[in-house]
Amino acid sequence: MTMLANIADIVRENWLLLLIGQYPNGPVGGIVATLMLSALGIGLAFPLGVVLALASLSPWRALRWPVFALIYLARGIPLLLIILWVYFLLPVLIGRNVPGFVTMLVTLSIYQAAFISEIVRSGIQALPRGQMDAARALGHSHLSAMRWVVLPQALFNTIPSILSQFVSTIKDTTLGYVINVPELTFAAGQINNRLLTKPFEVYAILAVAYFIVCWTLTWFAHELERRIAASRTNVTAAGGASLSPARAATAEV
Amino acid sequence: MEASRPEMIGFNAVNKFYGSLAALVDVTEQVGRGEVVVVCGPSGSGKSTLIRTVNRLEEIHSGSIAFDGRDVHAAMSSSQLNRLRSRIGFVFQSFNLFPHLSALENVMLSPVRVNGTPRAEAREKALALLDRVGLSAKRDSFPSQLSGGQQQRVAIARALAMEPPAMLFDEPTSALDPEMIGEVLSVMRGLAGDGMTMMCVTHEMAFARDVADRVWFMDEGRIVETAPPDDFFGRPQHPRAQRFLSELRVR
Ligand SMILES: Nc1ncnc2c1ncn2[C@@H]1O[C@H](COP(=O)(O)OP(=O)(O)OP(=O)(O)O)[C@@H](O)[C@H]1O
Ligand SMILES: [Mg+2]
Repeated sequence: MTMLANIADIVRENWLLLLIGQYPNGPVGGIVATLMLSALGIGLAFPLGVVLALASLSPWRALRWPVFALIYLARGIPLLLIILWVYFLLPVLIGRNVPGFVTMLVTLSIYQAAFISEIVRSGIQALPRGQMDAARALGHSHLSAMRWVVLPQALFNTIPSILSQFVSTIKDTTLGYVINVPELTFAAGQINNRLLTKPFEVYAILAVAYFIVCWTLTWFAHELERRIAASRTNVTAAGGASLSPARAATAEV
Repeated sequence: MEASRPEMIGFNAVNKFYGSLAALVDVTEQVGRGEVVVVCGPSGSGKSTLIRTVNRLEEIHSGSIAFDGRDVHAAMSSSQLNRLRSRIGFVFQSFNLFPHLSALENVMLSPVRVNGTPRAEAREKALALLDRVGLSAKRDSFPSQLSGGQQQRVAIARALAMEPPAMLFDEPTSALDPEMIGEVLSVMRGLAGDGMTMMCVTHEMAFARDVADRVWFMDEGRIVETAPPDDFFGRPQHPRAQRFLSELRVR
């Protein structure tokens, strides 16, 4: 029980630091920074991942190869290393300082986009070829067929994998710690350094905070999946037995 | 082609290969405007390949194919090719309805997204087409909620929505349970009755007898016999056609 009391005390004394870091005497930090980094990271990585997936399936080598190179890099090198490189190299290359938040956001988005593009590509390739044939036979351009026929199915079918990637994006924001981005983990580190004797309690708070954020996202994704599935099996007076959402989206060969 | 009809689809010395396999060999034939041609032949004889070259889902290696006066395989921009394809109705063996869209949306999608038809207008037309194939009541159903025969009828309505001057069918009933074949064939009969130009790969002999103006028989990439259905079924000339028909009757 004393441990829970300790945790409550730590939260009571440090809630502002955990919430917004040292703002306004410094950049926004704490959980607000974590959420901003996560939301912007996901918001950039997802559309970029879809674009990279389309590029990786394009008939032009000049579009495919850079994507595959990026994917090999992302697969082969730990994110931590990439962050450190960008952090030290980018200012040298462009000749001016880059805020840690921006470094982190850009690196994380591109890194995650590489993985998302592989998920989306496999989702596209898993669809029966007849879908693309039918769209082209009706006169759709390649991009129009992708936009109206292929992607709505492929993205829906890959929601679970894309969700995992979103969740890992949130978790990866913790790496901002190493380049002094004052996000939640950084704030917890500060508190721990000050208290010295209560690391278990401090990091328990951290774990619970991340769990809640990731769980909330997961809940939203499941809700979204459920709603799309419902809208696609919209059983009417005319409808027969409705299939499960995944089947409904891929039932056809 | 009967001399009286102007040409709608013309194959001129068409050759196509898959690696070293000759899939189409020196195909020269015409489909006249308003004519219904049934293409038959043994499995692997090149029927699907032939029909898919008409809207350039398959490329050819030599020769030329004309559709409504346009050279389909000439060098052209992709938007020109898309426009040409939008005027060639194509119905697949496996229906290929878009499973994330309702029957009505399947029929509306391409008029709206390809032709830029206003939604309200496209909807009116789509409803009329669903009515024509007998599926008004299923307009809000999704493909997974429809029987095979119903799916294929929606697919026909979807192709008709682009107002094509000709329709191509690649074994439209061979993925169907026997009791559903009739409903699809009767829609196709209706189309033929309305004067639609049709090129139809099928082994439905009764349909060919009643509806076709001519039957083309293919073997190993060649069209080896063309004849009106009565002659073809009654007095096939080519030995391969004789064998094919006797096997078909035994089945
Ligand atoms: N994509 C492909 N790659 C290689 N060979 C192919 C390909 N598509 C078809 N073929 C070959 O070309 C020949 C003609 O095939 P096609 O599908 O046109 O025959 P078909 O007459 O439609 O047969 P079926 O009645 O079985 O549908 C066959 O030998 C087939 O194996
Ligand atoms: Mg075939």
